[in-house]
Amino acid sequence: MDPLTLPSTTKINRLLPYWAVLQTDFRQTLRSWVYRLWVLLMVVAAGGYLLYEFGARNESGIFRNGSVQLKDVFRSVALGSLALVAVLAVGSISSERTTVADAVLSRGISRYQYFLAKWHSRTTSIVCTFCLFAGIVVTVQMLLFGRTHDESDVTVRGAVIATLAIGAGLAVLVSLGVSLGALTNGTVMGITAFWLLLYGGMLVLSLLPEPYPSPGRVLERLQIILRDRYDDGLVWRYLAGAAGLSFAAATVGAVGFNRKDV
Amino acid sequence: MAEPAGTDLVVETSHLTKIYQNRQIALNDCTLTIEPGAVLGLLGPNGAGKTTFLRLVLGLHRATAGWAKVFGRNMSPNAADLRRRIGYIPTNPQFPKGMTPITYLDYIGRLFGLPINTRKPRLAALIRAVDLLPHSGEPIAHFTPGMTARLAVATSLLNEPDLLIWDEPTHGLDIEARRSMLELIKSLAAEKTLILSSHNLSDVDEVCNNAAVLNKGQLIFYGSLQDLKGRIRKNHYELDLEGDQKSITKTVQLLRGLKEVAAAVLRHRRLDLKLTDEVPNSAVLAIVLQTLADNKVSLLSVRTVGMQTEQAYLDMVEKEEQRGFTRLYSQAEAA
Repeated sequence: MDPLTLPSTTKINRLLPYWAVLQTDFRQTLRSWVYRLWVLLMVVAAGGYLLYEFGARNESGIFRNGSVQLKDVFRSVALGSLALVAVLAVGSISSERTTVADAVLSRGISRYQYFLAKWHSRTTSIVCTFCLFAGIVVTVQMLLFGRTHDESDVTVRGAVIATLAIGAGLAVLVSLGVSLGALTNGTVMGITAFWLLLYGGMLVLSLLPEPYPSPGRVLERLQIILRDRYDDGLVWRYLAGAAGLSFAAATVGAVGFNRKDV
Repeated sequence: MAEPAGTDLVVETSHLTKIYQNRQIALNDCTLTIEPGAVLGLLGPNGAGKTTFLRLVLGLHRATAGWAKVFGRNMSPNAADLRRRIGYIPTNPQFPKGMTPITYLDYIGRLFGLPINTRKPRLAALIRAVDLLPHSGEPIAHFTPGMTARLAVATSLLNEPDLLIWDEPTHGLDIEARRSMLELIKSLAAEKTLILSSHNLSDVDEVCNNAAVLNKGQLIFYGSLQDLKGRIRKNHYELDLEGDQKSITKTVQLLRGLKEVAAAVLRHRRLDLKLTDEVPNSAVLAIVLQTLADNKVSLLSVRTVGMQTEQAYLDMVEKEEQRGFTRLYSQAEAA
């Protein structure tokens, strides 16, 4: 090995470390078996359900409204995804601790940049994947069942708002998971804390009086949202609340991670 | 207390202490300074606090008490600017899955904020320099420890650092790779400041000009390698004897009776002899040889015990252990 003498005094791009971690994490998330399993399960669940409904309608003439079908699909996918989304979110930082985190954080990147890159990468990959999936499911459902007015009671606007509502819920979960992964000393501990907080949070939100939207109520009202017959103010309050919760969770995570050893 | 100006120092620590979760004292009151151009060998047994010290200097850990300054500025987890001037190799370098040397070095280059026109030529030159050109497109996961070590070296030099912190750089390397690594360190020492943590004392002896010895989190020595060697416990010899076992035993008993002999331990036919400092060792050795001759015991070989640095290090650790509670009342020799 020869030591190198290379020209020094190079210009530094201070945003580059953030982009490097964001891109690398995004790529690694898409390659991870947890992510692929999650996508596979969503596709199999939605595909199986829609094929069943399609078969039932064609063979027996039994049909249900599009909004009911999509509500069932979205609801089951959202609830069924929780475990894998938790692993994806919590593991983003905690799984790298004591391994590759050393190699990254000992370079020219601050803790805040690292956390933000991880948070943005996981939120984007999970929420965008769900939105893409939801878009495909709505399209397929409309193509398969969109012949009569009763079956096609779903509007595009309603489908978009419903997708956004579930996506916002997922964003909160991912933010919470990434923050817990940054604050705890291991993935298992992080996931445990995640479930405890999730159940506790859901319980607290369900106790709120009626005007306040909770994830449970939103899932129950998906059918109305899909029909585009929802209260605008309520949905926007829910979306704003979700954004606020995500931001709050990430702030706590970033500040806590900055104070922790890696 | 006013902090001393440390602008000319590469690393400066003051009362640096790390206690993990109020359960384990990993580093205790470590104060030292490292000047530009120094090649510091960080020595100590397992669990001595070497890696903790390095991680504190890098800002990967937060100090429980005290502070660490690098290039005159306080090191913290967000001091990315300072870390841009440091090249670090951890003990067992880990690499993200699915990357090749080119993609990995490109990733690290981006982590340092290096623009593409600087990053790409530099990583290509480094891959060539560490002899990884034929493997530059292969997944790192398939690399041998030697290749991994060479990639880690390239990684640590990518940002042209002023300070290199290498944690056990020769760990797990074969003889050839180790020799190559030591030669590289010698070359780099001409223009950079290095901190090397190592278990291998002969490596430190060969490449370092300064040494710091940690034991159970305490800095028990810090100074030049010559100072460390100067503390070697003298008058400790091993003699391989030949002759009648009865005569050898009798000779050893006679030697034990000499007031100039501090200890004489016979293991099979090897005599471990420790002399006092009161009389010149040549005079005592003459008496020893005469006693051997008088009892018809032949001397096969005689040698001083241990390698110099190794012996000095072991003596220091042993002495520190023996100090017991007295260490409460006297400053550590290093401080």
